[in-house]
Amino acid sequence: MPIDLSMPILVVDDYNTMIRIIRNLLRQLGFEDVDDASDGSAALSKMRGKRYGLVISDWNMEPMTGYELLKEVRGDPGLNKTPFIMVTAESKTENVIAAKKAGVNNYIVKPFNAQTLKSKIEAVFAE
Amino acid sequence: MAARNTQDLDRIVGYLKEKRAEDVALSDVVALAELTAESLQTFFLTLDTTLYRELRAIATYINDMKVEIGALQANELKENRIPEAGQELGAIVKATEEATNAIMECAETVIGADANDPAGYKTLVEAQMMRVFEACSFQDITGQRIAKVVETLQQIEQRVSRFVEAVSAKDLAGFINEHERKRAERKNRFMLNGPAREGEGIAQAQVDQLFI
Repeated sequence: MPIDLSMPILVVDDYNTMIRIIRNLLRQLGFEDVDDASDGSAALSKMRGKRYGLVISDWNMEPMTGYELLKEVRGDPGLNKTPFIMVTAESKTENVIAAKKAGVNNYIVKPFNAQTLKSKIEAVFAE
Repeated sequence: MAARNTQDLDRIVGYLKEKRAEDVALSDVVALAELTAESLQTFFLTLDTTLYRELRAIATYINDMKVEIGALQANELKENRIPEAGQELGAIVKATEEATNAIMECAETVIGADANDPAGYKTLVEAQMMRVFEACSFQDITGQRIAKVVETLQQIEQRVSRFVEAVSAKDLAGFINEHERKRAERKNRFMLNGPAREGEGIAQAQVDQLFI
C-alpha cells in the first residue's frame, strides 16, 4: 500500500536542530505536513487536538520522556493505533526491548541517515 | 610503666591479704592509702603521656587536613574554574548549534533554488558553499574551548585524588540531596542512559533484528 504523503506527522524532540533535520528529511521524502513538539506532554496535547498519521519521537526529554509518551499513546483508545517510531541516542538493548514491549513500531538509533528514516517509515506502513 | 602498675597493685593485694584476719590499725589504713596513692600517681602519669600522645596525633592530623583542604583550593574551583568550564561548555553548545543552523540554511537554500538558470544556480551554490566553509570554522574554536574544559577537569581530578588519598576518604552511601535522588530515580526508571560510548550500545542492524 502506498504511503499517504499528505498525512500529518508529529516530530517530538527537545532539540530544535534535530526537529529541523528530521523535518527536512521528511520533506525530501515528500511529507509536507509536519508538526513538532518539544517533549512528551506537549506532543500528547497536540495529538489530542489533531489526528496524526505518524509520530517520530526522541526518548530523552523533559518533563515527559518519549518512552512515557509511547506508553500514554498506547494506553489511550483514541490514539493507540497511531504508528510510532522512536529516534534516539539510547542504544542499549534494554531500551529497544522496553520500547518494543510498550508498542513502538520501529526504532532508529541516532545518528541516522535519510535512507534509514525512509526504510523505517516504509516498514511501519508495510505492517 | 605497665609493669610498674602491676607491681603496685600486687603490693596492695598482698597487703590486704596479709592483714585480712587482723584488726585494722590507723597506721595500716595510712599505709594502704599511701600505697594506693603511689599506684594511682603512676597510673595518672601513664594516662597523661598516652593522652598527650593521642592529642598530639589528633592535632597533627587536623593540621595535615587543613593543609590538604587548602591544597584542594575548593573556593577557587567553586568560584572560578567550574563556572568558567560551564561557560566554555555553554559556548560550545551555542557555536555548534549556530554552525549547524547555518549549514542547514545553506542546504535548504540550495534545495529550494531554481535550477532552470544554470549560471544563477551555480553562483548561488558557490556562495552557499562558501557559507558552509565559514560555518565549519567553529570546529577550531570549540576545539580550543574543549581543551580548556579538559584541563580544568584534569586539575579537579588531581586535587580531589590527592585529597581522597590524604584523608583516606570513604564514600557515604546514598545521595547528597533530594534533587540528586530524584534525578537518579528518573534516570533509572525511564532508562535514560544517554548516547553510548564507542563500542558500547547496539548498532542499527542489531536493533532491526529485534523487530523482525
